[in-house]
Amino acid sequence: MHWLEKEDTSPLIGVRRRDVLKGLAASVVASATSAFSGYAHAADANDRLPIENGREIAVDSRPLMTVRIAAAPPQKVGAVPHGTRIIVPVTGGDFDGPRLRGQILPGGGDWLLLRSDGVLELDLRITLQTDDHALIYMTFQGLRHGPPDVIAALSRGEAVDPASYYFRTVPRFETSVEKYAFLNRIITIGVGETRPDGAVHRIDEIL
Amino acid sequence: MASRLLMTLQVVVPPPQKLGAVPHGTRVIAPITGGTFEGPRLRGKVLPGGGDWLLTRPDGVLELDLRITLETDDGALIYMTSFGLRHGPPEVLAALARGESVDPSKYYFRTAVRFETSAPQYAFLNRLIAVASGDRRASGPIYTIDEIL
Repeated sequence: MHWLEKEDTSPLIGVRRRDVLKGLAASVVASATSAFSGYAHAADANDRLPIENGREIAVDSRPLMTVRIAAAPPQKVGAVPHGTRIIVPVTGGDFDGPRLRGQILPGGGDWLLLRSDGVLELDLRITLQTDDHALIYMTFQGLRHGPPDVIAALSRGEAVDPASYYFRTVPRFETSVEKYAFLNRIITIGVGETRPDGAVHRIDEIL
Repeated sequence: MASRLLMTLQVVVPPPQKLGAVPHGTRVIAPITGGTFEGPRLRGKVLPGGGDWLLTRPDGVLELDLRITLETDDGALIYMTSFGLRHGPPEVLAALARGESVDPSKYYFRTAVRFETSAPQYAFLNRLIAVASGDRRASGPIYTIDEIL
């Protein structure tokens, strides 16, 4: 028996996961059928991922907050050894979620790198201040890519449906305030949207 | 959050190197000597030479910082990094430390995973964000890695 199949009987993998694993063998056959007909991620089409071998599932998560970032005009550093560097100073913004809300302090930034394969890497550092005056240091690393016409529209500052490109981040947090110490202990994922007036990130806690 | 299974990864970890108290916490380095991975789009083995640089923080949270090289069954090399957090009730963590088998739903063990490869057939890995759910076994951890869609 293959060790993956052995995992089937383990309590570590929930019913949802077991179903996925059991479905893998059948997924090639099912590739052109309804199992994937609802799969409409544009970035995926752009990347030509072999979707016949993967069934869409859902990582257990819950909303943490939405972060809206206001930025100054970017500093275009240009061609550097790893790609094209752009530094975007963060001037402010706000965030709100079920367990925290407040303002983004000025002084942070996003150190963007456009890689040679066309993928934009994001590397953000900002300070959040909650409405009850706690300071939270937030960082993320992320990736943004999509079809050339969509990326071109974004660079022209146009409003673009965020479902038409891939913009995902891995935020991390540090705080000394006990009320928000749960942020020190969670893995989170952000779904980003580039808007004409700044970036918006919907961040989920991975449960 | 929408996702799909990328792979399940099992790494082989010999006895770790216990460095003890360092400025950021308690450092343990776990060399990785091998392992296997299997998913709908890739499968293969873990090459020896990587490791997991573990730090137990003063707040009791274990930070995991893993670097390994994967070799697919068609000969491609993939550099994988993972940063994660593990924490849970003291009695559960004590059982893990004793090498006992523990239901992974009893503790939090999640990581964020990144990949680098030059192989065209696996270049999609360069462009995705992935999260892993870990299960710490006595023989080494098992990670179920999902691509975030």
